[in-house]
Amino acid sequence: MQPERRQQDDPQQNLHPGWREEDHLIRLLVDNARDHGDEVALRERDRGIWKEYTWRDYLEQVMDMAAGLEACGVAPGDRILVIGDNRPALYLGMVAAVALRAIPSPAYPDTPPDEIRRQMEAEAIRCALVEDQEQVDKLLGIRAQGYDGLKTLLFDDPRGLEGQEPEGGMSVADLRARGRSCRYHRPGLDADLQSRARVHDTAVLLHSSGTTGAPKGVPIKHGHILSGVRNAAAAGYFQEGEEHMAYLPMAWVGDFIFSIGAALALRFTVNIPEKQETALHDLREIAPTLYFSSPRAWSNMLTRIQVGINESSPLKRRLYQHFMPFAVELERRRLEGSAPTALERLWRRVGEVMIYGPVKDHLGLGRVQRAYTAGEAMGEDVFLFFRALGLNLRQFYGQTENCALCAAQDPDSVSLHTAGRPFPGVEVRIQEDGEILVRSENVFDGYFDNPKATAETLQDGWMHTGDAGYLEDDGQLVVLGRVSEVVYTAAGERFIPTYVENRLKFSQYIKDACILGQGRDHLAAMIVIDLEATGHWAEEQGVAYTSFSDLSQKPEVYELVRGEIAHVNAVLPQGLKIRRFVNLHKEFDPDDGEVTRTRKLRRKVIDQHYAPIIEALYDGRTALEFEARISYESGESGTLKRHLAVADIPLAHAAKEA
Amino acid sequence: MFYRLSGIKHTRYVSARALWPIPADRRILYVLGALALLAPVLLSDLYLTSYMLPWLIWTAAALSLTLLMGMAGQLHFGFAAVLAIGAYTSIHLTRAGVPFELALLGAGLSSAVIGSAFGAAALRVKGLYLVMATLSMQYLVEWVIVNVPAISGGAQATLNTPDVRFLFVPLQSDASLYYMALLWTVVVTLLLLNIRRSSFGRALVAVRDKDFAAAVIGVNPVRFKLLAFFVSSFLGGVTGAILAFCYYQAVTPEQFGFNVSIQLVAMVLVGGLGSVIGAYLGAGFVLLLPILLTNLLAGAAQIDWLPISFNLIAHIPLMVYGALIIGVILFEPLGLAKIYDNLRKYFLVWPFRHTQS
Repeated sequence: MQPERRQQDDPQQNLHPGWREEDHLIRLLVDNARDHGDEVALRERDRGIWKEYTWRDYLEQVMDMAAGLEACGVAPGDRILVIGDNRPALYLGMVAAVALRAIPSPAYPDTPPDEIRRQMEAEAIRCALVEDQEQVDKLLGIRAQGYDGLKTLLFDDPRGLEGQEPEGGMSVADLRARGRSCRYHRPGLDADLQSRARVHDTAVLLHSSGTTGAPKGVPIKHGHILSGVRNAAAAGYFQEGEEHMAYLPMAWVGDFIFSIGAALALRFTVNIPEKQETALHDLREIAPTLYFSSPRAWSNMLTRIQVGINESSPLKRRLYQHFMPFAVELERRRLEGSAPTALERLWRRVGEVMIYGPVKDHLGLGRVQRAYTAGEAMGEDVFLFFRALGLNLRQFYGQTENCALCAAQDPDSVSLHTAGRPFPGVEVRIQEDGEILVRSENVFDGYFDNPKATAETLQDGWMHTGDAGYLEDDGQLVVLGRVSEVVYTAAGERFIPTYVENRLKFSQYIKDACILGQGRDHLAAMIVIDLEATGHWAEEQGVAYTSFSDLSQKPEVYELVRGEIAHVNAVLPQGLKIRRFVNLHKEFDPDDGEVTRTRKLRRKVIDQHYAPIIEALYDGRTALEFEARISYESGESGTLKRHLAVADIPLAHAAKEA
Repeated sequence: MFYRLSGIKHTRYVSARALWPIPADRRILYVLGALALLAPVLLSDLYLTSYMLPWLIWTAAALSLTLLMGMAGQLHFGFAAVLAIGAYTSIHLTRAGVPFELALLGAGLSSAVIGSAFGAAALRVKGLYLVMATLSMQYLVEWVIVNVPAISGGAQATLNTPDVRFLFVPLQSDASLYYMALLWTVVVTLLLLNIRRSSFGRALVAVRDKDFAAAVIGVNPVRFKLLAFFVSSFLGGVTGAILAFCYYQAVTPEQFGFNVSIQLVAMVLVGGLGSVIGAYLGAGFVLLLPILLTNLLAGAAQIDWLPISFNLIAHIPLMVYGALIIGVILFEPLGLAKIYDNLRKYFLVWPFRHTQS
């Protein structure tokens, strides 16, 4: 292993001429322990109270673990498998491995054993650091099935393992004790351990989920992390001394970057919840200043608030229902560029005391200065709601391959459909076919043991993200979706059906949508209404209906859906506006093969099943008789005749002229 | 709305069990504490000596009784007698030249000894029978005081309190008397708050909830019932001394009659059994509300809104006051403290109805 690394080292030195040899994570940790030894670096909730680790404790424990790991035979370049929920011992162990120039390779705690085994085989894992008995059993199972490479098995929580450690098993407490005695007997060891790491060392081996094919190992070096974090800090994305909540999976790139990289570089206080289940409660006790969550989690949070308000007492509910829409409307106009009047600002302050402040307090977001989301598109309602609460919620964009730090929205120019401007030091270019290319110091240097994939992804120093997008005139990056999903209209306009469909689905009345238009003159949509929300709306409007298909064909419902589509059309480019749509008489059903079990559309099947409807959408008819084929659960199938209406959507500017 | 709970984290169990872990509660306390300290400046002498001062002292008395009735669950309908023992003991001790500080202790001790002697009945009887036992204490003590001239100075006599100093401060001015009462009330308040979260308090609660169940889990009911009577009577005795020296300044046996015992029970019940804030609210309700009602009615009668006889004016407040007590017991059996608690929780979970996580 060692000679290979040397050979690689030289060209890599040329790759990153800007990196300083001594500028690495361990050096930062030593500096923090020396200059800010008494400040809290890490907090863990243990049986209801927060156990604090200062930077000095942090370094001390890392040194213990590093010495212990070395005594266990961990050599430079070894990969160390890390599995478990967020625990201080796992974070400290990863840093200790980094000090030894070994490479931590975290995996998601819920990864099935055969996938773990593939990872272990590919990376020749000899040492594993895991959380508890559950993960130990998983690894022992893999060992029993014939993987004999695993020699050392370290676990944090000794419950159920004490007294019956498996072969090669050792608790982290024992490891630390062992390391401590090594340090005691070899006085120079500390200085030695602190000076081994190099900026060109791989600090962590992450795994790119790879929407296509098997996961690929992504080695991230000290230099990548540090330049990424510093670029982001320069853009005001992080600040020094943030209060940070480490509750996202440790195998996710963002967690390593936030909870270790940025935490060391910018002296964050990293707070670790007691359990995954208590994370929301613990969040409130901590009240972080920096908060990251996926769009889905933000959306769940909104649902929780709405449910809580619906159950609340009348006065509170009325106040909420007055102030919240007011703030959302204010925020919507602010994003459109109109400033609120003095009276509105005053009224918003009243709302801050009455509603916004208490709601943020309940969520534990009362002190959040920087709130982020990334990963997928976020619904307009959710985005506006949290911005209206006074959280500066922003979206960012990045992949594992570039440390997840590529572009983010400025605090003062936020919009729903962009992912913001590239960070300083990050170059973004759009290829002719629409693919987003990235070049910067935080882009990785190649996949682990996979030259073919490396050659595909890294070309002339540019990283091919596989995402399609475009840059707006003011430099904001818009991400549309995967390049592999791009299709073209007859006029050659490029679009991604899922991008448009997702935006349609943000409407509560639309459950599913299928966008058509490949090789056609214009876009058309097949809409599946949401029975619950639309049915509720119909009841409120006094529209009587008998069944799903009856409801879907009501003229009032068509009018409702038309409005929703027109809303989406407003942000679509001219050639890509949806011109016609039809409300389907049934939902897409996995039993009919129209969607997968995870509700992804299977377009070929849909094209086939609904061929007459698609034809009607493009030949100008306003209604059709459709022979619907129904497959019953017994396996039999039958046909039903349905009358479906096809509706046009007047384009906004056309309407104005008329 | 006013309560912000995010960011309250504890690194030690001690701080997690603090009396007021929520900043908003502490802020309310600071404001109330400042108002209490500034009362001699803010209030006129009349209001200070005839409203604030008795309110504080009766609060201390209600707190002493709520320890016994609310926490330990032992009914006591003769608590005025406990106060009387304290009052007479302290007066006789100071007259004999004992320093006031020691006289207070002596007052507490004599009340505690006599109180627990009657409380010993509680070891055998419960409920109504305990009410009878404590009532007998009320009448026996009253009878003894009236009929032993050495104590009362004669059947119709009034004993004046001598001039005393407390910790070198002469208790002469209205302000000094007020601060003496305030000090004692604060001491009793803190004591009760801390008893509630100590093993002693939990043992009392166990005995209250079911004495033989407490015995099963290893809490000795005999010991804790007696201790409850002892501690409660001690506090009551000192309060009686404070009442005599700071408020009445001249005592007669009638000041500690049966109606006073009933008033004390009313304070505890209306305020909320076992609640500290309830004692403040209950004492305020029982003591100040009749005065307020009388003033209102008298004011209304004076400007001829209520053409009623003077005799009736004296009685209407009593009727209204009785109706209010019935109302409180009927609509909020847990007392005024529960109303405060509901109000606090209403704001604590604002804008939701219950906690979210």
